[in-house]
Amino acid sequence: MIYFDSAATTLQKPKSVATAVEYALGHLASSGRGSSAASFSAAETMFDCRTAAAELFGVSEPERVVFTFNATHALNIAIRSLVKPGDTVLISGYEHNAVTRPLVAIPGVRVRVLDTPLFRPKVFLDQLELELIAGVDAVICTHVSNVFGYILPVKEVASLCTRWQVPLILDASQSAGAIPLNMEELGAEFIAMPGHKGLYGPQGTGLLLCRRSGEPLLYGGTGSMSALQIMPDVLPDRLEAGTQNAPGIAGLLQGLRFVKEKGQNVILRHEQTLKEEAARGLKKMPRIQVFQADEPGVQSGVLSFRIDGKDCGEVGEELSSKQIAVRTGLHCAPLAHRSVGTQDTGTIRISFSLFNNLAQVEQFLKVMRQIVA
Amino acid sequence: MVYYLIMCRSLTYAQRIVQTLERSGINAWLVRSPASISPSGCSHSVKIAQRNLSNALTVLNRVKLPYLGIYVGSPEEGYQEVEL
Repeated sequence: MIYFDSAATTLQKPKSVATAVEYALGHLASSGRGSSAASFSAAETMFDCRTAAAELFGVSEPERVVFTFNATHALNIAIRSLVKPGDTVLISGYEHNAVTRPLVAIPGVRVRVLDTPLFRPKVFLDQLELELIAGVDAVICTHVSNVFGYILPVKEVASLCTRWQVPLILDASQSAGAIPLNMEELGAEFIAMPGHKGLYGPQGTGLLLCRRSGEPLLYGGTGSMSALQIMPDVLPDRLEAGTQNAPGIAGLLQGLRFVKEKGQNVILRHEQTLKEEAARGLKKMPRIQVFQADEPGVQSGVLSFRIDGKDCGEVGEELSSKQIAVRTGLHCAPLAHRSVGTQDTGTIRISFSLFNNLAQVEQFLKVMRQIVA
Repeated sequence: MVYYLIMCRSLTYAQRIVQTLERSGINAWLVRSPASISPSGCSHSVKIAQRNLSNALTVLNRVKLPYLGIYVGSPEEGYQEVEL
């Protein structure tokens, strides 16, 4: 199978990830819950993973790296920590439901959307500053659109938020592992990311990078301060109730090491090269609308397109029958589709990882030529 | 055998302390705190030899790693908090 759905989850992982997961299943017990060697081994693996993530993302201390089940879980913690009922929250027009649904669930929250055109970061920043001047309680911004691969200018966003003293939550779901991020330099309050996409870890893993302590989403045992009926006030315990996913975290540690070894810039360039090649081929075909940035540096290795007169879901089925995996529809991001005007049709999305190659893109284009013929 | 326990705010802090001390050439072990010194329930401590306490505190103060308290003792004789 040719797998072009890494924006959802990277299917192919480094061998070291599976090896670590398998080892963990037989050797790692519950971190912080006992005095056995197996318990301390789990604790050591989790600490190593926190430390590796802190180094990769410029987090000052490993305890500020909190393990979550996925990016959605991390975003829910961040949003519940920063946004209170009645607050006004500014979000980009490219946010995922993992941001918009938690916001809607908080009573009385007013959500303002920065409705700006695709691949126009300057327009985005101008509009952002106007909204910040008008006054908001928090900003939530995705680093990269999961639908269109639009790289939002998050350094400038963070700088503006700092200037106007507005807390920022960054959704790094599509950038972590491919675009370098530094928590300390950015100054975001929280950065949320999955472990199973660009970090090549197993599903069921995610990270929340914290500048401040947060409000627990889950309450329960932490292996610390057990006599008290309130959650500990220190990170990461405060936000990590219940037994942690030791096998997943062991795999994630290997994924982080893989990303560090390969280099995020190398990974991004590889994915962008494949995307450019795919876009070039698709644009030569009749009736296809390709959503590609005109200028460099504004689009990651994610590409959306649609075919006039063809249902996106049916195209996805046809590709699947030829052993090519893509993602079609609204991609859990109806807001992004609304911003671009594709909410009625959805799009076909292809997204890459370091394990894809140009020969696979050529095969994909060959099949696409048959589909549009 | 008598030794010192540096009681920590969390497992992760205890791990940071072990890592920091080991990097400074001081042998340190992560242990669960004895119940007798942990009135709030489960916690973790860092165990070090008596002769290393002074150096260990110098290192921890330099890197500003917080801890909850220092105890001296042994499983047989019990533990006493050390006033610094």
